[in-house]
Amino acid sequence: MLFNSITFLLFFPTICVLYFCIPATRIQARNLFLLLASYYFYMNWEPAYALLLLTSTIVTYIAALGIGRFDEKRKKRLCLVSSLVLNLAILFLFKYYNFLASNIEWAIRASGLGMDIPEFSLLLPVGISFYTFQALGYSIDVYRGTTKVERDFPTYALFVSFFPQLVAGPIERSTNLLPQFKQRHSFNYEGAMAGIRLMVWGYFLKLVLADRCGLYVDSIFNHVDEHNGGSYLVASLLFPFQIYGDFAGYSFIAIGVARVLGFRLMENFRRPYFACTFGDFWRRWHISLSTWFKDYVYIPLGGNRVSSIRNYFNLLVTFIVSGIWHGANWTFFCWGTLHGVLLCIEKGLGINKQKYTGVKKLCHCAVTFVLVSYAWILFRSNNLSDFHTISMGLFTNMGIPYTQDVGWGVLCASFGAILLVVVKDLSVEYNWKIASLTTNHQILQYAYISFLIAAISLLGVFGNNQFIYFQF
Amino acid sequence: MKRFIYALLCIIAMWWCFDRVGGLCMWWLNQHSQDTTSPKIKHIVEGISEDVILMGTSRCNGHYVPKIIQDTLGLSVYNAGVDGSDNIFAQYIVLSHILKHHTPRIVVLEVGNSFLSEEESAYMTTGYFAPYFGLNEKADSVYHLSGDYWLYRLSYLYRYNTKVLANITGQIRHCWDNAEQGYNPNPKPLHFPNLSRWQTEDFEINDEKKDYMCRFIRSCHERGVFLCFSISPSYSLVDSDYYTILKGMASAYNVPVLDYHTSGLYLNHPEYFKDASHLWDKGAKLYSSVFASDLKRLLNP
Repeated sequence: MLFNSITFLLFFPTICVLYFCIPATRIQARNLFLLLASYYFYMNWEPAYALLLLTSTIVTYIAALGIGRFDEKRKKRLCLVSSLVLNLAILFLFKYYNFLASNIEWAIRASGLGMDIPEFSLLLPVGISFYTFQALGYSIDVYRGTTKVERDFPTYALFVSFFPQLVAGPIERSTNLLPQFKQRHSFNYEGAMAGIRLMVWGYFLKLVLADRCGLYVDSIFNHVDEHNGGSYLVASLLFPFQIYGDFAGYSFIAIGVARVLGFRLMENFRRPYFACTFGDFWRRWHISLSTWFKDYVYIPLGGNRVSSIRNYFNLLVTFIVSGIWHGANWTFFCWGTLHGVLLCIEKGLGINKQKYTGVKKLCHCAVTFVLVSYAWILFRSNNLSDFHTISMGLFTNMGIPYTQDVGWGVLCASFGAILLVVVKDLSVEYNWKIASLTTNHQILQYAYISFLIAAISLLGVFGNNQFIYFQF
Repeated sequence: MKRFIYALLCIIAMWWCFDRVGGLCMWWLNQHSQDTTSPKIKHIVEGISEDVILMGTSRCNGHYVPKIIQDTLGLSVYNAGVDGSDNIFAQYIVLSHILKHHTPRIVVLEVGNSFLSEEESAYMTTGYFAPYFGLNEKADSVYHLSGDYWLYRLSYLYRYNTKVLANITGQIRHCWDNAEQGYNPNPKPLHFPNLSRWQTEDFEINDEKKDYMCRFIRSCHERGVFLCFSISPSYSLVDSDYYTILKGMASAYNVPVLDYHTSGLYLNHPEYFKDASHLWDKGAKLYSSVFASDLKRLLNP
């Protein structure tokens, strides 16, 4: 079930009404109801995928019980490793096996040997990387002793499958979300209004910004050979906003939905294109994933409490893993590597966001944006050959951008939406008065929400478009 | 909870105001737009009165010169072809609007395989006619299929979702200035197209499209309108059996077909074409004179 479908717009109010009809004191009943709703939400894509979700839940649940039960460190570690291996094996089979098999086959053929490695025609289950990482994070937290073992299975299953953040994050931490399932959640006016405000803004980002930009971006990136440098440049300028609108839009809707129900999910995006260094960018972009990698990959590798060379190595490994997490394609591998290298260079040069103010800060923001946007070309390209064509075309084959099928109108609307989002984000970033007006003044808040809904109905792209991050 | 319900009611009331006022502004823009389709759709819905109506996609819009056909037949002619409307749903909406206030003597439908094919765009471009939602029950039936019916009922602004940008740019860019009786000539291309062959491909028939094709034919027959299918020339060497399914359907309903897609007059003549499937003004004028003579012979055998 997509957030931007009529089905969800009927599903969510129904769930809200029924949820708040159950007395707040009956916490178990409420959790059970949310668990059933979450599985129903997930099974709308493909009922069979729910078995994988359940498997991952059971494996991590039992592993955590084992970790909690044994005193011996070796046995605790065995439980943790079993949980990691089983979950990552499922993830590998569905997400990476075919990629690895085709690459091995290619390598064998290149060396002059003939050998077929069988491939499976498996569809990637929606959100598998998100819930697997969330469940693994819990196992590791229990092993480290930073979170208590959850013995109540429905509560734990709800933690893994909570529908607002199930398929595209934020990847929640057990320390934040699990305790909330044990608290009473009475209906709260301020929370509900904040949730609705976030949801509407998320829908605006997705339907007006992302999907409008997507019309142009897809027409260029899916037919790279037919276009010139001018078209590549425009598409490369639009894609950073498409992916921001798409993913941040989803996160805002998810956080908003949870907030209406009384839950607080972690912040996932903090105006990333105002970052003035790469480090700053990763503290603002997909925060739940970058902190996950920091806590469970970078720090266990030694973090920055090691020699400089080892520190650079740790950074690079973390970002390569992060790239591969996004998908089984060399483009993602290179994208992660590029970010890792840029961060190492930044660290080596001692570039730190605290150093800059005024014009210098602005220049650094611009440079960071340009480099991040260039890296996004890698991310969006269907393969490395397309990336090469685009990169060369940007410098050698300039021309008038393509507008034939999509029209100037789409471009104007896309840039108009970008302008609106930039102004809105600027107002929040620099605490302009107008930003607080829409949250503090009741009538203005209603006007802001209703204006956004009207703008979505006029300018939104409707057609049940998938969110980009669902594929990860 | 009371406070929240009050807030929701306020939001709905405010949205309703924004939607209605915005809808009125968009209606004004739509009625004054000189983009490529809005003036034609306005004429189709409100004032069409010609004897011969030519319907179809961009291949109709840019291929049939009404003045030439009018001179040959001695009947008034209007070109109601709408760019991009390559599905029977859009054509059915056009016909429903026409038949609501006028009964033409002849309807010529320029057909393509996408009119029936399962794979081609289904409800695309039916949104062009959404500003006139609520004026014609038969036309509105298409929106039940596309899933937009209740959204159009609910929101005035949503009816302009497809056309908003064209309606705004249409206030400045007057694309309609060269049009004559609905015919909007294609300009001479800078380079003539390369030759490419279209392969015959089997396609599955979409049941809903087939149903609407039948409705289209029946609507014409019930009102005593002479209906004829036409297939205008393509520069590419289209296989001769490319349109077999469409022709079979026409024959089942006794609808004559004027087929020029493999006509020797145009094959290997890039000088008539803007691209592989569209004639430019010079080619359209030549084709219209041939088509008019053949249509005349069909009407008076």
